[in-house]
Amino acid sequence: MVGTPVLFVAIPLLAAFLIPLLGMIWKELVRIVPGLVLMYLMVLSINLLNHVLVSGPIVEVIAGWAPPFGINLVFSAFSGFLVTLMIFLGLVVWLYSYRFKRNVGFEPAKKYFLLLMMLITGAVGIVLTGDIFNMFVFIEITGISGYGLTAFYTGRDSAEASFKYLMLGSIASTLLLLAIMILYSQLGTLNMAEIASKIHTVNPTYKVISLILFISALGIEAEIFPLNGWAPDAYAEAPGPVGAAFAGIVVKASVYAIIRYIFTIFDISGAYSFLIIIGMMTLIIAETAAIRQDKLKRMLAYSSIGQMGLVLVAFGFGTEEGVFAALFLMLNHAIIKSLLFLSGSYLVYNSKDKKIVEVNGMHKFLPITSFLFALGAFAIVGLPPFAGFWSKLSVLTAAADSHMLFVLALVLIVSVIELVYYLRVVNRIYFFKKGENVDPKKPTFNALLAMIVLGALILVIGFYPDVITGVIHKASADLMDKTKYINDVLSIKQ
Amino acid sequence: MKKVIVILLLAALGFYLGTTFFNIGFGDPHFANGVKDFYLKETVDNLHVSNTVTSIVVNFRGFDTLGEVTVLFLAVTALGSILYKRRHEVGTRSVLFSSSSVVTAGSKLLFPAVILLGVYVFVHGHLSPGGGFQGGVIIATGFLLMLLSYENYSVSHKWLSIVESLAGIVFAGVGLLGFINGGTFLQNFLPTGVLNNLFSGGVIPIIYIAVGFKVAAELTGVIYTVLHEKGVK
Repeated sequence: MVGTPVLFVAIPLLAAFLIPLLGMIWKELVRIVPGLVLMYLMVLSINLLNHVLVSGPIVEVIAGWAPPFGINLVFSAFSGFLVTLMIFLGLVVWLYSYRFKRNVGFEPAKKYFLLLMMLITGAVGIVLTGDIFNMFVFIEITGISGYGLTAFYTGRDSAEASFKYLMLGSIASTLLLLAIMILYSQLGTLNMAEIASKIHTVNPTYKVISLILFISALGIEAEIFPLNGWAPDAYAEAPGPVGAAFAGIVVKASVYAIIRYIFTIFDISGAYSFLIIIGMMTLIIAETAAIRQDKLKRMLAYSSIGQMGLVLVAFGFGTEEGVFAALFLMLNHAIIKSLLFLSGSYLVYNSKDKKIVEVNGMHKFLPITSFLFALGAFAIVGLPPFAGFWSKLSVLTAAADSHMLFVLALVLIVSVIELVYYLRVVNRIYFFKKGENVDPKKPTFNALLAMIVLGALILVIGFYPDVITGVIHKASADLMDKTKYINDVLSIKQ
Repeated sequence: MKKVIVILLLAALGFYLGTTFFNIGFGDPHFANGVKDFYLKETVDNLHVSNTVTSIVVNFRGFDTLGEVTVLFLAVTALGSILYKRRHEVGTRSVLFSSSSVVTAGSKLLFPAVILLGVYVFVHGHLSPGGGFQGGVIIATGFLLMLLSYENYSVSHKWLSIVESLAGIVFAGVGLLGFINGGTFLQNFLPTGVLNNLFSGGVIPIIYIAVGFKVAAELTGVIYTVLHEKGVK
């Protein structure tokens, strides 16, 4: 063992407090240090994940108080898989934005890297923690970093987007706190495992209200349909890499939280059908909205919302197969949508309105970026032999095995819509003449490297899905085994 | 019409939530075996801290407090980055009139007392009501008083940021020292002393003093940034 889960939070926090001081010594350090921290965490998470896959979850107590008295972190196959994925994406986003596309002063650059690192730390904390109030704190950390990053370009529109996000995020925090209050007033504990073991004694009224508050609060961050008003604006106005971080990291953490509440903590079986219903609504409405967008980033944002809807549907099957499909989809979506945001951000770089029509004929000027965007587009709609194909296939088989043929049909219909709007963009890139007043910008070396890594990963997962399915199978088995989770945590004695 | 529907929906929701919370009956003894008895007992027996709130905030749930401190730090950073390019068009300050001589004279007198009170509150956080957050806020109000009374009063942004960072490093560093010494993050590794003494409670007073400095520096920074509405240059 090379370390323990608490380092995922402690090291970045220490680094975050150090960065302002380091910046006074040598300005370049504010860019380098977050990268070093993320690289260290990447090594740590891969090591821990390997350890966990073989010898079972690691439960770490903090301040020496055993659960339920203290706070504990749980690094299991499920949470470890998501943590590794998030840190990997964080590293890619860091690499991409190491040298900014625009000229940015030292102060904003320092704040950008600090907020980006804390965004990742917050999301990792949400996944690792075993305490509902601690999760609230990490959601706050993620949210506040998110508001700051959305407003990074200090324009009128980005301020509006950030303000919208801030308002909805604050409502989410309030609802979350109310939900935590209800649970605490009924059980006198905040530990997830202990709540899960005692939840059957709670009056159903309180249980349902509390779960509704939890889902509405987390649904705001997870972009569930009626609550996702902030998302398209925030994605469109935030810098490209921040959009990738939102789609790949923040949303994944919020979905994790919803799933943890429904699968582990609460014992309300109707919640699964509820997941399918809101997931389907999100999927259909977001995809039909995406086809009407004329701005590239907004289109990607709606597509991202739709994909999260599909993930919720897959979780809603409630079977291990469904969970497997959902996790596979989360992995692919994180990689592919990040690639699309990163490359798309270059395709519309110098245009004023970031419109889709302005990508016309870009393949002559940005051959690699265009190729990677096309690769991402093919992968996300689920064309074989790319990564997205396998995850979509597993969603469809899971639906068929759960006898949800209606869901299966709708998913296929929506996939056609998806195909239409992605191929429309690819078609413009390759077969249209370039507009006259568009001035493409060559990607920086580090950005190109980051995009190529993601593109390569899409091909690797596409051709050899076996490299990753083993881990996902173990992760989904881990999520389904509620009793084991409770025992693992509560067996630790003072 | 739309508004009426929204109001009706909100009223229904509010009524439902309101009755739920009313029925919970906060303040009544609900549970025999929650975590509360353990906290009350361990605080006095083991940690030798007389303020249970402090022991819960800094030790039992110290990880949350570290998170909350970070939230404040990030809020200040994000605020600074949003207001960075803004330049005020009329004058350098958004305060448009100068304060009367009573305020200027009085604030000079009050300022040291306010700072002293703040320091007292966070140093005695483990003995009496109060602590790092409260003490820090009191100190920041002292700076607010000075900024309001003197138009040219300035606080060095560089020093604020140094104090803020060092305090944060102390908090996280003490946590990591506990990790290295005692086995878990934020675990107490110092002798806990005698109950009700100033030097008691192990790492708790150290962390609370760091929190006090941090909160004071951060809130002063917020007041200063908002008052001047231009970033450091």
